[in-house]
Parts: sequence; structure tokens; C-alpha cells
Amino acid sequence: MDTLEAARLQMATSLGFHIVFACIGMVMPFFMIVAHYRWLKTGKQAYLDLTKAWQRGVAIFFVTGAVSGTMLSFELGLLWPGFMKHAGPIIGMPFSLEGAAFFVEAVAFGFYLYGWKKLRNKWFHWFTGLIIGVSGVASGILVVAANGWMNAPSGFVFEDGVFSQIDPVGALMNPAWFTQSLHMTLAAFASTGFAVAGIHAYQIWRGRKKEIHFFAFKIALLFGSIAALLQPISGDLSAKDVAERQPVKLAAMEAHYETMEGAPIFLGGIVDEETGTVSHKLELPGLLSFLAFGDFNAKVRGLNDFPKEEHPPIGITHYAFQVMVGLGSLMMLAALIYFWSLKKTKLHDKKFFWLFFTLMAPAGFLALEAGWTVTEVGRQPWIIHGIMRTSEAVTPVPGIQVTFFMYLAIYVVLATAIWWLMQRQIRVFNQETTIS
Amino acid sequence: MSWIVLAFLGVATFLYAILGGADYGVGVLELLSGKASREKTKAHAYRVIGPVWEANHVWLIIVAVILWVAFPVYFNAVMIYLHFPITLILLGIIGRGVAFVFRHYDAVKDGSQQFYDRLFRWSSIWTPFFLGATFGALVSGEMITLDSQPDATFYAMYIAPWTSVFSLATGAFFTGLCGFNAAVFLIGETSDDQQLRYRIKARSFNLIIVFSGLVVLVVSLLNEVTFILNMLTSPASLAAIFLATLLLYPLWQQLGKGHQVRVRFMVVIQMFLIMTAPVLANFPELVTLDGEAVSILDGIAPDAVIQTLGWALLVGSVLILPGLYHLLKSFGMIKSLEKDAL
Repeated sequence: MDTLEAARLQMATSLGFHIVFACIGMVMPFFMIVAHYRWLKTGKQAYLDLTKAWQRGVAIFFVTGAVSGTMLSFELGLLWPGFMKHAGPIIGMPFSLEGAAFFVEAVAFGFYLYGWKKLRNKWFHWFTGLIIGVSGVASGILVVAANGWMNAPSGFVFEDGVFSQIDPVGALMNPAWFTQSLHMTLAAFASTGFAVAGIHAYQIWRGRKKEIHFFAFKIALLFGSIAALLQPISGDLSAKDVAERQPVKLAAMEAHYETMEGAPIFLGGIVDEETGTVSHKLELPGLLSFLAFGDFNAKVRGLNDFPKEEHPPIGITHYAFQVMVGLGSLMMLAALIYFWSLKKTKLHDKKFFWLFFTLMAPAGFLALEAGWTVTEVGRQPWIIHGIMRTSEAVTPVPGIQVTFFMYLAIYVVLATAIWWLMQRQIRVFNQETTIS
Repeated sequence: MSWIVLAFLGVATFLYAILGGADYGVGVLELLSGKASREKTKAHAYRVIGPVWEANHVWLIIVAVILWVAFPVYFNAVMIYLHFPITLILLGIIGRGVAFVFRHYDAVKDGSQQFYDRLFRWSSIWTPFFLGATFGALVSGEMITLDSQPDATFYAMYIAPWTSVFSLATGAFFTGLCGFNAAVFLIGETSDDQQLRYRIKARSFNLIIVFSGLVVLVVSLLNEVTFILNMLTSPASLAAIFLATLLLYPLWQQLGKGHQVRVRFMVVIQMFLIMTAPVLANFPELVTLDGEAVSILDGIAPDAVIQTLGWALLVGSVLILPGLYHLLKSFGMIKSLEKDAL
């Protein structure tokens, strides 16, 4: 493993874990304040119990998200000094705004967690919870906007290896910021919604405290389902955007080698990167042209049109994309089943209904990780698309192989610890809540 | 506008040293407490830093962001040549953050609490120590770069600068400051025999500060660390150090009389003086690379970037500061100040 590989693996590990922590920390506050709101309105103990239980979860995830985010903000410099030296000033805008949003969130968090007894105005207390959610989502959007810039660099002039005429606002409002942020925000809601709902579905499946877990299930999956049903629209916007700006990434996503009109979409398929062929696939003719350009006969450029040294790893990008789309479709189906079950309440007595949603719990996060793999691996070999290669940005410091394994170990321990803590939370919650 | 950005950098660094420093100090105090008083210290720590600790540490992120956006030369030097101590700091930050939250939000209070406690205490002393050592390395003049010495050994380039006596003494100095800061702060939060314990702690931290400060000075004289020696020739900086030392006397006197709030003010002023003294003597050449003092204004980001950053910071602080003030106030961190004023 050379330094570049180690650095990429370390970054992937850190991001892969951080994304999960951050999404839960960003979305769960919304579930929490919905439960809180219903408690304030109805005075039902169940909602208060649920709010407090979720608050513990939010606190744990918020902090792990915050510390892993702090680490990432340093890792950007520690691993990619070549990138930060040039890109730092250009994309400083989203990061400094993100810092501000995070600050607001931390302040609101102090109020919310410690305000149950101290704040006299109950609605102000609730409002601080809303601020946590809103500023969390704002942070997420800003960070993804910075990532958008790496895919669609803008707001500067690049000549002879020198960046000039820097326009930080232009960099923030890069062409990819909206499609990427929208896709990511919906993904965060869908993943967290399904994960939280899945945990409560499991409790119901095991026959524990049905009533209160059902409240929880409904709130979480309402968010998750709406997001899952909206996601294909945003996915379509993203695909059209990528088709236009990063044709080679689109070609890798689809393992599309030959430039042609009326290009098909492959379902499945095993990629042989040596020979540039795809076997074991199901072809849907014309569909790629349609999805990318809105016309069944449009010409889609294939990988063979681009020099080999500009190809991303094609197999990984293609498989990850398939996984994302497959799981996303499954979640849409689950969302429809959920809405249908609100009419057909008989379904709630069926054990398989709860088993199904238990099994769906990890679907969103798997799709989300796969989606990020598509974005990041698909952008390779570039760190700034078309401007700077990842190999030019990597640190000269030796020994990154060692720090990679250290970070990997830390994150595995951290994730295990959180898993264990959550189990304890739920056990205690089941014992203590007075609602059946 | 570059002055506004610099001012924010200074203020954020200062606030991090005070607020984040007191946070670390509380953990250090817990570590150094005897068995009998540990639980009490823990309870005080929770009451005092619980609601605000997260906000306290955002200052560090602000410092990092300002450096990378506006002062890429400094940022790059830190990120490449101080990769390892920064990694150690990050380990400490992770350990502390999760331990602090786990010990209060774990639904079951059992033997694992001991583990969280230990992790919290040790990472509380570990993190400020390496923060101090990292700063020490930057100013010590021992840092070499790939540009001048591409063939330097791994040890000389990436390890030696932050493990020198000077840097380690700087680490001890900063850790001592954190502990002192926290002890003085906690004295005002209690009214029983615990007060006496904090007072003793404050005194020992004072000794650590003075001792490590002397080591820093002696090593600077021996190795000609210009960053420190410049302080001896700058009247403003000498005056600041003199005042900071002078303040110790009324500080201890007031502490004895129980004027907790005045004491806190004095500690803040003292920290301010200690931190401004070297800046007064060296600004803008704060960091030494390859034996040459490097100005913070070298390689400063283009004007358009500084403009937007400055505005972002101004707007951000309008949003944040009232909320932060209200937070500190709501949870009694300023209440005692008001009581005193009446």
C-alpha cells in the first residue's frame, strides 16, 4: 500500500463513518421535536418518554458526529495538503459558514439538553430543538456544497497551474451544489428514517411495549418514506447533471464503454476492466440515453472515448451505483407499503410486516454509502475534477499506512461502542416506560 | 479587512484557550483529585461545563478554518510537519468528547463508568499538553521543511521539533494554565471543604506554570529561540508579562477573601496578557521555519477571499454571540457575576 492508497483509504474510512453519525445527528432532532410537539399538545406521557429516549440517542450521535467532523476538518489538511493549499481559500466560504451553523447548533443543543427544568417557557425549549435540526441540515448542505465544488470546480481562473481571480461566492454556488445537497439531504432523511423505524419495528416484532414503539415507528417512517419517494426525482436531476459535466463518471457508473446513440442501461453486469467488457447483464435499450438526456436516441459517450489515465475504477463505481439504485427502489416500495398500511391497519397485526421493516433498517445507510462511493470513486483520478489529480494533493509525510489502521481501529471501536450503548438505551427504555 | 480576519483569529484562539482550556482543566483536576473528592469534582465538572462544552470546542474549528482559508502557508506547515502531534490531539479530542457524553448518557450506570472516567481524565491532560507542544514546535525554530532539506531524516523532520525540551515545556505550561484556570473557576462554584482542595490545586498549578515557564525561558536562552528572546527586548511585551506576574498577588489575596468573581476576571486578564505578550513582540512573524521567521501575512489569501471571510465571520458572530451569551447566562455561568455586581 503506498501513501496515496493509504491516504485514500483513511479518508474513505473517516468519511464513511462520519456520514452515518452526522446523518443521524442531523435528522433525529426532527423526530425528537415531532414527539416533543405532540407531548406539548396532548400531554400524553408516551410522547414525553419517547422524546427523552430519542434525546439520549441524539446526544450520543451529535457528539460522535461532532468529534468525527472535527477530525475530518483536520484530516483534509493532514492528508491532502496540496489540495488545501490551493482549494482552501477558494472553498473556505462553505466551510466558514458551516462552522457558524455548527456553532449555532452547539449552542441550541446546550439549551435543549439542559433546559428541561431550567427554561420556563416550554415553547422556547421546543424551539431550541427545532434550531438544532435546522442548523444541522444547513451544515450538511454547506459541506456537500464544498464537495460539489470538487466535482464542478468554479469561481476561479486556472492558468499554468495558478489559481487566480478567486470568487468564493461563485465557488460556493458551483453548478453541482444544489443537486448534490438535495440528494444528500433526502438520503439522510430516508436512511435515518428507515434505520430508526427499523429499530422500533424490531421491538414490536419481538412483542415489546407495542404502543409506544408504534408511535416512534410512525414518526420516523413518515420522514423516511416521504424522502424515499422524493429521492428518484433528485436522483434524476443528479444524473442529468453528471451526464453533462462528468461524462466519464456517468460512463463508469453505467459501465458504458462504447459511445453510441440509444444507449442501453445495464442491470447487474460484471465488469472486466482489462478487456473493457461487461458480462452477465440485463440490457434495457435506449434507457441510458433517455435518463441522461431525456431522449431515447441521444448519444452517450462511452469510456473508450476518454484516455485510460482519466478513467476512475470502473467496477467499483458501477457496482456501487447498482447497489444504490437497487436499495433506493426497494425503499420506495417499502414507503408505499407503509402508506398503504396506514389505511389497511390489519397489516399491523401481522408479524411479517414488522419483520420486513426490521430487515429494511440498514437499507438506507447501505444505499447512502454506495452513493458516496459513486461520487468519490467516480471522480478519480481527480481530487478537483479536471484541475488537480488526487496524487498531486497527497501529503509527503511517511507512515500514513500506520495512521490508516489506527483510524480504522478507532472508528470500529467507536461504532461498536455506540451499538452497545444503543442496545442498553432500548433495554432500559423498555423497562422504565409505563406505557404498554 | 485582513485586520478583522486577524482579530477573529486572535479572539477565537484566546477564547479557545480560556473556555476550552478550562474544560480540559476540569478533567485534569478530576485526574489529580484524591479518591474522596473525585466524585464531587466530577459533579461540579458536569454542572459547570455540561451545557457549554460542545460550544467551547467549536472555537478550535473556527481557528482551523480561518487558518486554512486565509493563511494557507501556516496551515500547510502545521498540517505537513506537525502531522503526528495533530493526530495525537485528535485522538485526545475524540476520547474526551465521547467519554464525557457516554458517562452521562449511558442508560445503565455500571462498571463501564470507570472506563469512561479514566478515558475522560487522561485525554483531558493529554490534549492540552500536545496542543502546547505543537505550538511550541511552531515557534521553537526547530522545524525544517522539505524545501530546504529534502534529505532530512524522518525523525529530524517530523518528530524532533515537537519532542524537544522547549516544546514539551510549552506543553506543560499550557496544561498548567488550563488546570489553574479550571481550579480558580471551580472555587467559585462551591462553598464547602471542596473549596480548600481547589485552592490547593490552584496553587500547585501555579507552581507548575512558573516552573515550566522558567524551563521555557532557560532553553530559549540556551538555544536562542528568538520567539521568546524577542519578548525580552520588547517593552510592550515585557510590560504584559510583568503585569501578569504582578496580578498574581492580588489574585491570591482576593481568592483568600472569597471574591470569586473578581478572581475570575483577573485570571482572564492574566491569560490575555500571557497570550498577547509573545504576539506583541513578534507580530507578524509568529512562526519559524528553516530557521527563518515567517510572517503570517506571507501568502495571505487573495483579497476577494479575505473580504468574504471577514463578512462571513462578522455575520456569523452576530448570529452566534447573543445565543452563546444567553446560554452561558441561563446556566449560571454569568449569574454569579451579576450577583456580585448588585
